[in-house]
Amino acid sequence: MQLNGSEIIAECLLEQGVDTVFGYPGGAVLNIYDALYKYSDRITHILSAHEQGAAHAADGYARTTGKCGVVIATSGPGATNLVTGIATAYMDSIPMVAITGNVSNDLLARDSFQEVDICGITMPVTKHNFIVKDVKDLANVIRKAFRIAMSGRKGPVLIDIPKDVTGAVCEYIPETPKAICSELLSAQEDFEAAAKAINEAKRPMIYMGGGVVSADAESQLLALAEKIDCPVATSIMGLGGFPSSHRLFIGTIGMHGGYETGKATDNCDVIITAGARFSDRVAGDREKFGKEATIIQLDIDKAEINKNVKINYSLLGDLKDTLSKLTETVSPAKHDEWTTQVAEWAKHSGVTETPSSENYAHPYHIIEAVNKLTNDDDIIVTDVGQHQMWVSQKYRFEKPRKWCTSGGLGTMGYGLGAAVGSAVANPGKRVVLFTGDGSFHMNLNELATVRSYDLPIVVVVLNNTVLGMVRQWQKLFYGRRFSQTDPHRKTDFAALAEAFGVKGMRINNDSDAEEVLKEAFASTEPVVIDCRISPDENVLPMIPPGKTVDDMITEME
Amino acid sequence: MENKQIIGLLVHNHPGVLLRVTSLFTRRGFNIDSLTVSPAGIDGYSRMTIRIHGDDSQVEQFINQMLKIVDVKKAEVLPESTSVAMELILIKVSSDSDNKNDIIAVTSAYHASLVNIGEHSLTFRASGTPSQIDTLISQLSSYGILEMARTGIAALQNGDSTLAH
Repeated sequence: MQLNGSEIIAECLLEQGVDTVFGYPGGAVLNIYDALYKYSDRITHILSAHEQGAAHAADGYARTTGKCGVVIATSGPGATNLVTGIATAYMDSIPMVAITGNVSNDLLARDSFQEVDICGITMPVTKHNFIVKDVKDLANVIRKAFRIAMSGRKGPVLIDIPKDVTGAVCEYIPETPKAICSELLSAQEDFEAAAKAINEAKRPMIYMGGGVVSADAESQLLALAEKIDCPVATSIMGLGGFPSSHRLFIGTIGMHGGYETGKATDNCDVIITAGARFSDRVAGDREKFGKEATIIQLDIDKAEINKNVKINYSLLGDLKDTLSKLTETVSPAKHDEWTTQVAEWAKHSGVTETPSSENYAHPYHIIEAVNKLTNDDDIIVTDVGQHQMWVSQKYRFEKPRKWCTSGGLGTMGYGLGAAVGSAVANPGKRVVLFTGDGSFHMNLNELATVRSYDLPIVVVVLNNTVLGMVRQWQKLFYGRRFSQTDPHRKTDFAALAEAFGVKGMRINNDSDAEEVLKEAFASTEPVVIDCRISPDENVLPMIPPGKTVDDMITEME
Repeated sequence: MENKQIIGLLVHNHPGVLLRVTSLFTRRGFNIDSLTVSPAGIDGYSRMTIRIHGDDSQVEQFINQMLKIVDVKKAEVLPESTSVAMELILIKVSSDSDNKNDIIAVTSAYHASLVNIGEHSLTFRASGTPSQIDTLISQLSSYGILEMARTGIAALQNGDSTLAH
């Protein structure tokens, strides 16, 4: 049938099973928005307050559903406003298709109004990008873009479409997307060699990351861990990929991980790494990471092997396949002595909590209280900074895809957009955004979106009035010279929420907390809770950058 | 082990592919001293030949990163022992009537041909392996090199094997 480019975009989105997109209209995408008007019975468009919020929403949608997030923006500033959202998704391997309008072909390369080379700009932060100059190529490019975003190591793909292409007409022939098949890239011998190392291990440990969640391989990982009786540590990205209540779970690994995961990493004889990439926040000292251990890495991306840490055995392919095959190949084992030792280390947290006060609530207390009021299917989102680390330490995740946080890029301002996307993707589920006053100030404009769509989001602002994480580093490494980390802002977040039409509440100290939170969780109305915490609260324990557990800081002034 | 390796790339001849490849050099900190691009003799494909400095693990990482670019179809090391690698140089040497014959004697030993004669210079063309070219340059440097242009390396595997297989 004869359709214009914009209708082809809508049809191709439907081919891919897309029923929800996020975005913001503008001059270069007028034709696309006209088609969205026509297709509004089949494609729901969620309008953000700012394109960055729309990109983070598409990301939150993707993380909590496993589907590909879709975001649409106009040319020029619309496109550049997506960049942080695309880069955030890229660093965490989140599948996303970003569609940007551009000026018409005859205006390209002339510095026309709202023209920008968004393909050039996003090249380092996308898996691939396209500019479609001929409507005849449009359908196939969109199909390819989804395939690239969803196959192998997932990630964002951008399609830039000049305005005349969105209006030009051509023949559209529907196509059903072919299933994405993963191939097992490692040979049987590789599995046998890795299994032999595991069978000989006395002190094995699993270090898992976001790849386990991305591959939906949580049950395969659980089977392996149980068969070989092996403690499991996770990166921040891997949270939820292994139940926190499981006896083998030992918590997060790295800079703000527990003492026990640090000790286990230093003392284990085999590390099985699944879908994780030894970032500097995990392997502070690359040379000493797992210094006693044979390292086995399971990943879908060959370029991750030997990138940061020297690997002894690599198993390449979809984690569902590689984990199952490895589990079949290894012998069952019991490691009582080792698991008892790890449990002993766990008792030695080393961290003394700050005393409770009239004027401040304690962040752990708030997080644990929220944990009690939520269930395993509710979704927890964070921004970036101290609050993010406290949540990663304390919240007990039992299921995958209930957790959105910017792990790789560390994007302050990520949270509210991602919370919007998560809430849209999961009707009937509660979404909690933990944020800090610094992060929340960056993109709180999306409260307008929260109200427009009446999304059941509870925003907990852990408000210490300072930029706490940077301030903590200034305390430790810059002689307490607090350069620009005390903004002296007087923002009343509860009053601000009311201005957006969102209920505002306050928590002043630990004894307020339960009652206020209970009231907030009693209805599905969106709510912002301004929760006062001390500016001197620190995230502990902490392994300083480039160091190991031996240098762990457990106490600060 | 720090060394120089030649990598052959077969890439889809799409706009922007050169930028995708070269932007990875800076992003991933690869150290490149030569890059050539030409038609690959297969419809729709170009061939890139890149010489990289680095130890074995850096070369492995380079190839794995290159293979992640959607438009890169093949990326392989072309080892010196099983490939032929050549390049061409044009080199302009400062010369006067006193040393003209000396220079010509040096260059003829490297099969360089004199392609242009200036008032105070001689320009030669030579082709050979990168190390032959390097030696020629060092032999001529004492006379004063005014300018030179190297084409970069072209390399193919020995025997019947090809990048495309």
